[in-house]
Amino acid sequence: MNTVLSPAWRDACQRNRDAIPQLTWLTGLRDSALSLLSSRGLPDSGQEDWRYTNLADYLQRGAAGLIDPDHANDSAAQLQLILDDGRAVSPVAGAHALPAGIELYSLRELGSELRDHAASLLAGKDREGEPPALAALNLALLSDGWYLRSTSTATGTPPALHLRLAGSRAGIAQLRLLVDVAPGSRLNLRIEHQGPAGTLANAVTQIRCGAGSHLDLLRIQDLPADSLLTETTQIELDADATLAATSLDFGGQLVRQDLSIALSGPGAKANIHGAFLVDGRRHVDNHTTVEHRAPDTSSREIFHGLAAGHGRGVFNGRIIVRPGAVRTASALNSRNLLLEKTAEIDTKPELEIYTDDVRCSHGATTGQLDANALFYLRSRGLGPAEARQALITAFLHATLAQIVPEDLSMQVAARLQARLAAMSKAAS
Amino acid sequence: MQATPLLTIKDLRVTVAGREILTGMNLVVNAGEVHAIMGPNGSGKSTLAHVLAGREGYTITAGSAIFRDQDLLAMAPEERARAGLFLGFQYPVEVPGVSNVYLLRAALNARRKARGEAEIDTAQFLRLVREKAKLMQLNESFLNRGVNEGFSGGEKKRNEIFQMAVLEPVLGILDETDSGLDIDALKVVANGVNSQRGPDRAFVLVTHYQRLLDYIQPDFVHVLAGGRIIRTGDKSLALELEAQGYDQTVAAARNQSQIAR
Repeated sequence: MNTVLSPAWRDACQRNRDAIPQLTWLTGLRDSALSLLSSRGLPDSGQEDWRYTNLADYLQRGAAGLIDPDHANDSAAQLQLILDDGRAVSPVAGAHALPAGIELYSLRELGSELRDHAASLLAGKDREGEPPALAALNLALLSDGWYLRSTSTATGTPPALHLRLAGSRAGIAQLRLLVDVAPGSRLNLRIEHQGPAGTLANAVTQIRCGAGSHLDLLRIQDLPADSLLTETTQIELDADATLAATSLDFGGQLVRQDLSIALSGPGAKANIHGAFLVDGRRHVDNHTTVEHRAPDTSSREIFHGLAAGHGRGVFNGRIIVRPGAVRTASALNSRNLLLEKTAEIDTKPELEIYTDDVRCSHGATTGQLDANALFYLRSRGLGPAEARQALITAFLHATLAQIVPEDLSMQVAARLQARLAAMSKAAS
Repeated sequence: MQATPLLTIKDLRVTVAGREILTGMNLVVNAGEVHAIMGPNGSGKSTLAHVLAGREGYTITAGSAIFRDQDLLAMAPEERARAGLFLGFQYPVEVPGVSNVYLLRAALNARRKARGEAEIDTAQFLRLVREKAKLMQLNESFLNRGVNEGFSGGEKKRNEIFQMAVLEPVLGILDETDSGLDIDALKVVANGVNSQRGPDRAFVLVTHYQRLLDYIQPDFVHVLAGGRIIRTGDKSLALELEAQGYDQTVAAARNQSQIAR
């Protein structure tokens, strides 16, 4: 059963349809989105995919903020470019030069020659062949969005292009980022979620990696207390494209990420690392789908979950091997640490294989910190908190090791240390 | 000259899951001494080592252990380490992702902090670990690897002595450090221990075999049986044990103690 789209949402979608003159090229797509929402409704905990995550509060708060959205102001604030010196600037200002080979446009300013590229990303479908409901909601309600194109072919590891997606407290911010990684090019992209306490956001990121391209993607969700975030990320890889994706959840109150990766071209390859920390009463739900659609594709995915206090983590990892995707190699692992008995992690790897001649493996473990290792470290002089933190850091080591370049990896590691220290302080 | 006792164990009784493993253990270890504690399997050797280092799961029902004028048994494992006690594990634990240098640095700094000293300077630290790694014939690439991660049995034991060399404890307790070592590794380990001997420091070697004592000359050899020391001698006692086996020695010692009563 789905939640029927209530009149408040329907009216808001209809009001928004033609509200922004620069976005009338989206009207047809918005109409399809609304008709999909009308027939499918919004996610409901009666659906298998949503059984652990209840969006009732999120939708209620969102509906309350639907009246008279301020379209003039929210556009510039939604996406910021973080410069090397840490300053956050609005990329629309245009005054800040982007690295060579990177273009970034507001959907309101997108030239007609790029609209087809953007539109095909905007219409991205899930494994059932339709746009996910939350992506459709985002499309119907968005007041702006961003289109990023990378054509850089520089070798080596470029510094990460650092973008900040900012939600707000007033209504659900509909955040949309479209990324085209041109064939043969390289992009290192870092996306961070930000917002004030009580942030509410529905983010959709859609990425196409052209043939032979490479994408390093780092996503960090470190939202303050009481923040509610839903996030849909779709990444499609053409032939021989490679992806190294790292997803980190440090904060938030209720977070649901649907990460879908489609290996559409022969030889495409994806490495996916994820880690989530849930303490206090945080709830973080990661649903991932890796779809092998072409021969000789490979994927390796490891999610690490860490739960303390009354935190609850959910991981659902699905691998789908479509007919014809012969010689697929795929591995999926979910490793979880429960630091306290009151914490909970629900994990479920799923395989759907529709072809022979594949190598697929999956596994899930949930345990506690190793008492022998703790004693060993303490016998060397480390205090109990320090010993625990060292073991937790070790547990998350592989996730951080994938982040490039190294100075960024170290920076994230330092943040993780600070987060773990705060966590252990709260626990003691 | 008056001997300085580092460790004084008096009538120590310890149970594990309701069963008494140490049944009235007495031992005095003075600065500058090397003691060997030998005994058959199940005599309580490893229990003694673990109890002294502070491992959980043991119930102390009677007796005391005083280490450098402090009540050792009341201290947390890390407090014992910072006070200068070191346990070389029989089965060193693999801790993937925590590098050897990280552990050593954290361990050194924890000691320094406990003594009110500043953290160790990076250059000084690196000099120290390189010098000691060389002594233990450990390749420098070991330093950045995870603690004991993928190490062979011999490498793990060498790493224990290497850690001890860096941390410079006052009292080193080595729990069956010789088990599973080939003769070359045994020599390296013995050499590592010998180089650390000094008038202010002491070692307790817990071992099943006399072989290690060919390379590390003990001042005292104790025979532990049934949870207490039944006989003490010099290094010739180890040779006697080797020649006669534990059964005979233990039986003889028991007879003697009965006669004495």
